[in-house]
Amino acid sequence: MISLSSVSKKFKQKIAVDNITFKAKAGEIIGFLGPNGAGKTTTMRLILGYLAPSKGKISIDDLNPIDNRIDVLRKIGYLPENNPLYQEMKVSEYLQFIAAVKNVDNFAETASQVGLNEVLHSKIEELSRGYKQRVGLAAALLGKPSILILDEPTSGLDPLEQEKIRNLIKKMAGKTIIFSTHILSEVEDVANRLIIIDKGKIVFDGKKTKGKGSVEKLFKKLVKS
Amino acid sequence: MKNLYKKELNYYLNNPIGYIIVVLFAVFANFLFVKDIFIVGSASLRPFFSILPWLFLVFIPALSMRTLSEEKRVNSIEILLTLPVSETQVVLAKFLALLTIVSFGLVLTIGLSLSLSFITKVHLLEIIIGYLGSFFLAAFCLSLSMFFSAQTKNQVAAFLLSALTFFFLLVLGTDFTANVLPRSIHDFLIYFSPFNHLDSFIKGVIDFRSVFYFVSFSLMFLFLTVVDLEKRG
Repeated sequence: MISLSSVSKKFKQKIAVDNITFKAKAGEIIGFLGPNGAGKTTTMRLILGYLAPSKGKISIDDLNPIDNRIDVLRKIGYLPENNPLYQEMKVSEYLQFIAAVKNVDNFAETASQVGLNEVLHSKIEELSRGYKQRVGLAAALLGKPSILILDEPTSGLDPLEQEKIRNLIKKMAGKTIIFSTHILSEVEDVANRLIIIDKGKIVFDGKKTKGKGSVEKLFKKLVKS
Repeated sequence: MKNLYKKELNYYLNNPIGYIIVVLFAVFANFLFVKDIFIVGSASLRPFFSILPWLFLVFIPALSMRTLSEEKRVNSIEILLTLPVSETQVVLAKFLALLTIVSFGLVLTIGLSLSLSFITKVHLLEIIIGYLGSFFLAAFCLSLSMFFSAQTKNQVAAFLLSALTFFFLLVLGTDFTANVLPRSIHDFLIYFSPFNHLDSFIKGVIDFRSVFYFVSFSLMFLFLTVVDLEKRG
């Protein structure tokens, strides 16, 4: 279980995350929604232990991600925003490298699961954006982590590729998944819970079906402002 | 850490830039030594080992400038630091891979001692100790360059910062500063010059104060690099 309790993160004078509290139970798929600069990426980095909170407490299966960073990272698969990859590597080399670092050997199985078989021997720099995203997703899935954190997994993809990535995420049901997005309909399609964040604060946390109309209005208002 | 080391080493082995830098280093090192060997009239590798710091000044920052600055620029550092590895492992793997590449470069100059052995009797132990000192110097320069590579997302800035700092440290050990600075200040500053510490190795003597200097300063720069990676946000 992921638990954040009164967590804040300050960068010099700017408050990126402001006193947020939520819990994610095993198997939940949470859509993390918010405009640019709302604090989605910072929250995800805090969960991973990549950033330390300025205030508050975070625990992943009762482990503090700062004090037990490596143990926590063994439980989490992460797809960072903009999906930075080692472009000069072949897909197979990259996945083998990640699998070796995670000390697992299911890279071929994972590559096949996300539909990378036909590009396994291509260089990452030669792939389309959609395939690159699948490589990032495969890397996150290696080691069969119980938690997946996906930062804007469909960003910059065409509608067809977005649909493919959404279907892949749906196939991962059973894992605790937190994914961020700008698109409300994407959350409705994939997630079973929605958290909306704005200016570092949680402004909505609930089931996607609950008060859908008002959620839509709230989100449109945030995007416009 | 073994897998991180292999990945880093493979980057240089599968990329022309690694070969270009190492071969250029070897060509310059061999040429600068050979061009004067008959003029000086002394069949010793001491002049070669004395040239090495000036070659390292250019080639080591060129080789290592991208190692962390590029990871930060394209944010692939986030991939590494969200894998179950520590910052220390990341830094050590990169350092050891770079040290391996520089060692290849040094191995390419062994031909000098071989060719020298055809024309005169060579002091093998003196040569081995000279190479040991050069290895320590390379480790020192690499750790310094990695530290500067971690400070910026710009490779050129990383190159300039490390080359200028290394240059400054080298100059401290030259006759120029001995003539310019008051003796008491020069006597203090010369301790910080890698030239001063390489000198005993070049003469075939392993001075443990110099070993301590190279090891402690290399560890200090590696430690500072780890601290920089830990800071993040």
